[in-house]
Amino acid sequence: MKAHPGFGVALLALLLAQGGASGANTPPAADTGVDKEPASLSANALYNLGNAYARANQPALAILNYERARLLAPDDPDIAANLRFVRAAANQPSPAPTRLARAVAVLPPTLTAWLGVVGVLCLGGALIAGKSPSRTGLRRSSVVVGIALLGWTGVSAVVFWPAVHAAVVVTDAAPVRVSPVPMGDPLFTLPMAETVEVTAAHEDYVLIRTRAGKAGWAARANVVPVVPDRTSTW
Amino acid sequence: MSLAFVRHGGFLAWLAAQAIAGLPALATASAAAAAAAATPMVTASIEPTQIIMGESAELTITHSGGSNEPVSLPTVEGLAFRVIGTSQRTEIIRGATFSTTALVVRVTPAAAGVYTIPALTPDSQPLVLRVRPEGSLPLPGHLGAAGSKAPDSSKAAEGTAFLRLVLPKTEIYVGESIPVAIELRLKNGFVKTLNGLPKLTGAEFTLNNLSRQPERSETVIDGEGYTVLTWHSMLGGVKPGSYSLSVESPITIRIQTRPQRESRLENMLGDPFLQNIFGATVTKDVTLKSTPTDLTVLELPTVGRPPDFSGAVGSFKIADELSPSSAAAGDPITVRLHIAGTGNFDRVDSAMLTHLDGWKTYPPTSSFKAGDELGDKGEKTFEQPIIAAHTGAQTLPELAFSYFDPSTRSYQVARSGRLSVNISASQADRSLSAPATGAPSPPPSATPPGARPVAQAGSDGLRPDHPEAGAAYSALTPLYMRPRFLALPSLLTLSFACGWRVLRRGTPAGLGRRRRERQLSKAMQRQLLELDAAANAGNAARFFSLARSALSVPVGSDLGSESNDVRELVALADEATYSGRDVTAIDFQRWQTVVRTRLLREQSS
Repeated sequence: MKAHPGFGVALLALLLAQGGASGANTPPAADTGVDKEPASLSANALYNLGNAYARANQPALAILNYERARLLAPDDPDIAANLRFVRAAANQPSPAPTRLARAVAVLPPTLTAWLGVVGVLCLGGALIAGKSPSRTGLRRSSVVVGIALLGWTGVSAVVFWPAVHAAVVVTDAAPVRVSPVPMGDPLFTLPMAETVEVTAAHEDYVLIRTRAGKAGWAARANVVPVVPDRTSTW
Repeated sequence: MSLAFVRHGGFLAWLAAQAIAGLPALATASAAAAAAAATPMVTASIEPTQIIMGESAELTITHSGGSNEPVSLPTVEGLAFRVIGTSQRTEIIRGATFSTTALVVRVTPAAAGVYTIPALTPDSQPLVLRVRPEGSLPLPGHLGAAGSKAPDSSKAAEGTAFLRLVLPKTEIYVGESIPVAIELRLKNGFVKTLNGLPKLTGAEFTLNNLSRQPERSETVIDGEGYTVLTWHSMLGGVKPGSYSLSVESPITIRIQTRPQRESRLENMLGDPFLQNIFGATVTKDVTLKSTPTDLTVLELPTVGRPPDFSGAVGSFKIADELSPSSAAAGDPITVRLHIAGTGNFDRVDSAMLTHLDGWKTYPPTSSFKAGDELGDKGEKTFEQPIIAAHTGAQTLPELAFSYFDPSTRSYQVARSGRLSVNISASQADRSLSAPATGAPSPPPSATPPGARPVAQAGSDGLRPDHPEAGAAYSALTPLYMRPRFLALPSLLTLSFACGWRVLRRGTPAGLGRRRRERQLSKAMQRQLLELDAAANAGNAARFFSLARSALSVPVGSDLGSESNDVRELVALADEATYSGRDVTAIDFQRWQTVVRTRLLREQSS
């Protein structure tokens, strides 16, 4: 059986990211857990990993990796197409992106962030330039560019905010409870591969909200966030 | 039926009753007078005829007529006779005196069985007393123990209602609960209402789970119909000691107000409604009390008491289970402990698994499924969720439950078996690693290096993999949402703000000059105000003194370099100071203008 080169690339990227999964110092899988994030990631590697899960008939993990890849490369049409395909196969809705979201996705978030810094520099330069008549044109141009870049960055942050706080249900039927304890009264059950929004966390439970507006506490083991641990990232 | 007919019928019945009750009485009295004078008569009766072991019956020996010779008590093996009272009645009928002496004897059996008390006279019949073993069910037609006739407080109900407490044993332990039955026998037609549930008379015991509705049955005692109401409950001892236990029940009864022989017809009619019409009964509230029963409450032994003993007394068996038997790390697993048996389940408790290395444990919950109405038998289930932190096959420690068994009079510790569970890695842990059973990926489409793959779906419906690794990122979170990155534009903004402020307000030397100018301006304003005040007051000496001070011209200084106005003002000041020259208002205005002009010029320069 011949291995797929893309699959090999994905595995290689993960091995590099995790510093060698077979290393003696590697902690057990349960200790690394969902809260840890590899040292480096690539959109293509995550996309290929999503494809591998989709072919292995594991739609939840495929959607999870597609969502992660889309955070790094939001303008990649392959990621969006496969995400729609897997969601449809898992009987999950694929909301169409808004026009604003499509416009913002032209630039990756990292580049947008640096453009925001440039916008700050432009506005600051215009402020310091003073009211010298000889620099009026340059100052006005700097203000306009600075405001535009900062506005673009702000809109991008608003557009990507839900994706950063999203999570995917990875078990067949994840019970959602009224309180963050195992004996809490069950409210409803989440189907596998559904994407939900995580709004809070408490010990082994996260407070989720579905697209339909229903909210409750689900076990961390059943719901995997798209961005594992946002507090420890640089 | 009309009311008149009822009254008419009632009158006829009353006449018949008088005829039946009155005429035979006269005839009997006449005959008895003659017979009694001839031979004495001894009769005996025992009540009740059936009792339970531990109770007593009453033997009444009546001696009427003739001499008052003492009556010898019968002798029966296994029965103890003790005289508890005598009564004497004397009647004079048509000049003849009749004396009747009744001897009341308590009969106490030594063992269960059927006893025959021999006839006291050749003409009478022997008496039979049946004694059932202790703890047996209530006897049909049984009227309770001697004294279970209503005691003092309920004498009015005597013969009408009886209350008794049936105990399965006479020794219990503190915390132990035993099933008891409270039996209330009500003569048909004479008990109007029950005014409450039966209750204990003392505070040394508790009565739990008393049935809200009593069992109802009918019985016949001595030819009279009785309704039997039976409540079931659980009795528990609160503190050790020997106590006398009884129950009481409030009821409202109808009491016959005429002698028995005068109300035969009413009794034959049996209808309390008709009896009320004849005025034969009245209602009265009474409280029935049962015969006190001795019950000993034993203290639980301290020797051999397990440390985790929670006060459970009874006989129990335990079983445990784990569900599911295999789970992923992070998934909750439920440990169940089933405790089934007989005893005080309200004291059955278990801490379950308090602390386990490699596991997260939650407080257990419990539920009880009663096996009977009293809750004496059943099964209590404890459920505890636990979550594994590590993968692999794991074994949980055994669970233990301690209780006191009254039958063996010792503490018992029931232990469960060890439970095993297999913990696998969770889906979340596998989300960043390749699938284990992934199907082989199709070959990538032929795309030139560096170009994006052709956006065409493959045979599996997916677009092909991307061969190149692409740009590497340190995290998934967008850069502008990371706190450390946000520090950069924040610092830049702060720097620009500081720079703008510095440029707008100049150097520190300039700032000092502005501060001095501001102070000078304030001093000038103050001096001009003082000048105005002095001019308004017409105080020329103070005015010119202030003017000289404002112009910074000390007394005796050289005025060669000063203007004419200043020199003239100084001269006027000296004149006003030393000669008291008067100054008009116009002069004040002039010299105010001179001073103001001079000060403004100095400030601007």
